[in-house]
Amino acid sequence: MKSKKYWVPVLLVAFGLLVVSCGSANKEAATAAIKAAEESWNAAKGEVVKYIPDQAKGVEDAIKGAKENFDKGNFDAALAAAKAIPDKVKGLAAAASAKKAELAKSWEEMSGGMPRMLDAIKSRLDILSQSKKLPENLDKAKLEGARGGYEAAAKMWDDAKAAFSGGNVADAMAKAKTVKEKAVEVMTTLGMQVPAAAATKG
Amino acid sequence: MADEEKREGAGADAWDATQWHVVEKGETLSKISKKYYGDPNLYMKIFEANKDILKNPDLIKIGQKLRIP
Repeated sequence: MKSKKYWVPVLLVAFGLLVVSCGSANKEAATAAIKAAEESWNAAKGEVVKYIPDQAKGVEDAIKGAKENFDKGNFDAALAAAKAIPDKVKGLAAAASAKKAELAKSWEEMSGGMPRMLDAIKSRLDILSQSKKLPENLDKAKLEGARGGYEAAAKMWDDAKAAFSGGNVADAMAKAKTVKEKAVEVMTTLGMQVPAAAATKG
Repeated sequence: MADEEKREGAGADAWDATQWHVVEKGETLSKISKKYYGDPNLYMKIFEANKDILKNPDLIKIGQKLRIP
């Protein structure tokens, strides 16, 4: 009977060591998982933010949540949250890559058509500037407005080409869309027919 | 005005920005020039743009598709 009394504190100490040991193991695992999550995110972040920016916040929030749990000592929760992040990042990286390819395809199409629209506008503006009398539905103020619109569009088209050459497809496409809208506006003002692709595509 | 401009091969090249006019009865290059440019004296611009199908600025045919630069 007496010997049993000695076992109680021994068992308590052993249990305590076991708990501390498990906690330490979970802490290490959570630390490693958070590090892996951050590394995967840092590798993909640039493209994700560039091509699907609205989806980047979810990953950043998940990393932040895992760290908060870690700081509170909730290592299991931190580990679970952090372990899920690399797969999510992998999915987003694939989505960003697909979006980049889609934009590059749109750019290819637009870069073939936009110069022709701008050339057609310039040709019409050059001839109208030689005209002694303007056609119906066009007055001097409208003509000057159209000329200003054309010049702005041509300048922005150069900027779009520079952005594309610099590898920024998203910025190039954003600028190209503005150029297209401006070109459509000018063509309409001048009574010109707008190419079907420019009139219908977003 | 724009509804009278026809595009060649619609659908074949959706980005084609060429401006077209189909000649109607009684039209001359001067009348077409007046219509698009407001000035009949600029008819030579249209003639120059259509030299592949026009030999004489005074001879255009009904139904001919002319480029309007």
